[in-house]
Amino acid sequence: MAATRSRSKLLWDVISYVVLVGLAFIAIAPIVWTFLTSLKFEEDIVTRTMQYIPSRITFENYVKLWNQSGYPVLVINSLIVTTTTVLLCLLTGTVAAYAFSRFQFKGRTQLMLGYLVVRMFPAVLMIIPLFIIMRQVGLLDSTIGLAIAYTSFLLPLFVWMLKGFFDAAPKELESAARIDGTTRLGAMFMVVIPIARNGLLATCVFVAIAAWNEFLFALMLTTSQGSRTWPVGLQLMVGEFQLPWGMLAAGGMISILPVIVLFAIVQRAMVAGLTAGAVKG
Amino acid sequence: MATLSINSVRKSFGAVEVLNNIDIEVEDGGFLVLLGPSGCGKSTLLAIIAGLENSSGGDILIGDKNVNDVHPKDRNIAMVFQSYALYPTMPVRRNIGFGLEMRKVAPKDREAAVQRAAELLQIEHLLDRKPGQLSGGQRQRVAMGRAIVRNPDLFLFDEPLSNLDAKLRVEMRTEIKRLHDRLGTTTVYVTHDQVEALTLGTKVAVMKGGVIQQLADPETIYDRPANMFVAGFIGSPTMNFLKGTLEQGDGGLVLRHAAGTLALAGLQQDVAGFVGREVTAGIRPEMLDSGDGPASLTGVVDVVEPTGPDTMVIASVGGQLITARLGPKDRPRPGEPLTLTVDTTAINLFDPVSGNRI
Amino acid sequence: MVEARISYPPPLTLWDRINPVRMIGELSETRYWMYLLLIPSALLITAVVIYPTLYGMQMSFREMRLNRPDLGTGWVGLKHYQRMLTDPIFWVSLRNTAVWVTSAIALEFLIGLIAALALNRNLPGSKVLAVLILLPYFLPNVVAGHMWALMLDPRLGVINDLLVKIGWLEGYKAWFADPSTAMAAAIVVEAWHSFPFFTLLILAGLKGIPSDLYKAADIDGAGPFAQLRLITLPMLKTIIAAAVILRVIGLVNSPDLLLILTSGGPGRSTQVLSLYAFQTAYKDFNFGYAGALSVVMFILLMGFAWAYVRLSKVNED
Ligand SMILES: Nc1ncnc2c1ncn2[C@@H]1O[C@H](COP(=O)(O)OP(=O)(O)O)[C@@H](O)[C@H]1O
Ligand SMILES: [Mg+2]
Repeated sequence: MAATRSRSKLLWDVISYVVLVGLAFIAIAPIVWTFLTSLKFEEDIVTRTMQYIPSRITFENYVKLWNQSGYPVLVINSLIVTTTTVLLCLLTGTVAAYAFSRFQFKGRTQLMLGYLVVRMFPAVLMIIPLFIIMRQVGLLDSTIGLAIAYTSFLLPLFVWMLKGFFDAAPKELESAARIDGTTRLGAMFMVVIPIARNGLLATCVFVAIAAWNEFLFALMLTTSQGSRTWPVGLQLMVGEFQLPWGMLAAGGMISILPVIVLFAIVQRAMVAGLTAGAVKG
Repeated sequence: MATLSINSVRKSFGAVEVLNNIDIEVEDGGFLVLLGPSGCGKSTLLAIIAGLENSSGGDILIGDKNVNDVHPKDRNIAMVFQSYALYPTMPVRRNIGFGLEMRKVAPKDREAAVQRAAELLQIEHLLDRKPGQLSGGQRQRVAMGRAIVRNPDLFLFDEPLSNLDAKLRVEMRTEIKRLHDRLGTTTVYVTHDQVEALTLGTKVAVMKGGVIQQLADPETIYDRPANMFVAGFIGSPTMNFLKGTLEQGDGGLVLRHAAGTLALAGLQQDVAGFVGREVTAGIRPEMLDSGDGPASLTGVVDVVEPTGPDTMVIASVGGQLITARLGPKDRPRPGEPLTLTVDTTAINLFDPVSGNRI
Repeated sequence: MVEARISYPPPLTLWDRINPVRMIGELSETRYWMYLLLIPSALLITAVVIYPTLYGMQMSFREMRLNRPDLGTGWVGLKHYQRMLTDPIFWVSLRNTAVWVTSAIALEFLIGLIAALALNRNLPGSKVLAVLILLPYFLPNVVAGHMWALMLDPRLGVINDLLVKIGWLEGYKAWFADPSTAMAAAIVVEAWHSFPFFTLLILAGLKGIPSDLYKAADIDGAGPFAQLRLITLPMLKTIIAAAVILRVIGLVNSPDLLLILTSGGPGRSTQVLSLYAFQTAYKDFNFGYAGALSVVMFILLMGFAWAYVRLSKVNED
């Protein structure tokens, strides 16, 4: 009996490994393929016999992308938009998450639900009026305007996720700090936020990745090279007939590199925060 | 150091009333224990004293000063929490000194004060560790250090020992008593453990459902409980309740119960008005002894539980179960008849309708 | 015992009286503090979500064509909504949306569940594998779209090459140019991109199931599939419900991936509602009609969410 059980456990372990390795392969195969493509010469990409491993490698796609397509400007714009979005969320969202986590007050549940429902609003329904409003106030086609627009769907997420991390710090700690002589403000900055710093970092990274990746708002709300972000720029490289695959692949690899690095660094806290926010929501 | 007055304090959460007209005075250097089952409002009262919660009515006075509108940071109190609430990001040294740091005490004085508190609690060797690296008992000591270092007007303890194992709990209880004897700081101590209450308190407030059932010194609480709730809550094993009718016998008052009568010669209560009525007699297990006497109960042994220093015998007296604490050598067998002599001076009679002591 | 004398309350210095940090600190001790904390984010959300949404809703009752200023921006009542009833593209989009959402979610859930169950065995090395498996979810739509477009390309796609080599295909196939395969191909890409979301949530749910339950089931002789059906899935009900609803919202609302992969084509075979609304705004500049389409989408989504939550609650009883 015990023998069959351990044999069946072994069998399932083996099956699990096969499944996991297979899925991991499927998950990263497109990334690897794109990377290989980005290292090929154009004539090796468009070839009659498929080259799985490039017979010769080149960085010309990266060089061309960097020098000819204005990609550096796109990346810098994206960096500005991402940073501004994270700052906006940090400044307004941290204190809101703190209030939701720490205090019982009238309308708390409703307000939190409201922050959740906001995520259900169709992007298109907001993009069009945002386009009109931003044009009126002169924020259309500006990195700041785009960042403000991003907070519409990222701030609620930020608040929910961060609230989960704040919840993990016991309330008695603040009571102790207030008796020790801090105000509530002091307790928040000296005791609670230091405890939640990993969570805060993970939440910021999550928002940063989302802002960095965003495409639809950027497509609609930016119109010129001066404020366009990289996803829009990359998409606009796609011509009608001849696709510059090498450059597209290079651009894709450059753009996802920071995402992969950031994700690898904070993935554990980020995964915890994402699930906490979604489970309660 | 200061006195503490709690005057008609009330608290409701929405429609739920959690504290109902609490009135307590604690003298300078006194040790008040708030005792009651979980959920009776002890922590809420403590939080109101600390200023962490607002009361729905009534006044808190520390010294002569009404502190209703004083923030916790300005009340000059110190508190020890059940979970210790040590700041996990700071080393022990900074945890203990945090209150002084917030009050802008010069670093040198602060360091000296932390050192003295640590010596008193024998935790000097832990000063540079983070709370996460400490055992439960060590955390408890650090929490106490954080409280005593500031020389506050008032110490507040919220079930400080309930997260410790049994042996450590007894040790720390002694430690707290020693500290209070040494420092003489007015203290409010919340617990649901009656032994802690009786050993530590100079005054015990027994609470239930947001109402104070009895406020008195420990002996009175133990010997003359104000009602059957207090009587049953205090003491282990719990007090026996024997139902019967109060009658005027030949030699004085007697209690007629299902299995006979019990002479109440030494009774310490004026019960004249209850003659001829139903009463409940509260008899502590240790007021019973095997053998016959002027006042005695006769029954049949049901269960025998030796505990080492004592033998707990549960006997059926006319269908009512009575527990007696007998000597270690006293080992009657189940099914045997048993006669117990009663110390009648220690009997309390309760009105079974209201539950109050007559 | 400690002689660090402190007077209460400490006397205020002049600097204390004008120090802004101290003043905010004092404010934090009042009962209005939590509301003050909420104001900045509430203002921002009102400005970028509530106001634009209301604006968009009223827009759906107006004529608003950016490329036809001659038409003005007057009220047109329910005109846009009436047009929708007779607009064949709307109905095709609606049907495509249903297919797109249900198939993608079914696929994502299945793969996500399998991955989570395998990861939950905590085999050595599964931490690294988990990072790799979760990675696609964090990649941008644009890059995800181009990676797959490259791999499925009719002339140089590696997947075509592999399928021909193992004999499943006669020759290279133009997956996204064929109306019969475009939707399926897009669903595969979407599933690749978002199955980690289910893995993530289900894994969290699995961690919350007490292992005693499985031990008890083992002793009772329940096999792995019986355990999955009788313990795992019922215990995960809430989390699966939450995950499904979040994915439905995401899939219905965002046209990104289809916009990048197919732009709704070929023909209308991958035209979904959100994409149609976006193109009506972005290409035709008919903001009024686009607004009306989004409002209908929003109402359908709310209706679905409500019904779904109700149903999963009823099932629990
Ligand atoms: N913030 C709150 N909101 C609503 N009810 C509360 C709150 N805090 C405590 N209570 C209720 O008040 C009662 C007393 O709680 P507490 O003072 O913590 O009891 P104790 O410390 O005696 O166990 C409990 O019934 C509890 O449910
Ligand atoms: Mg309590």
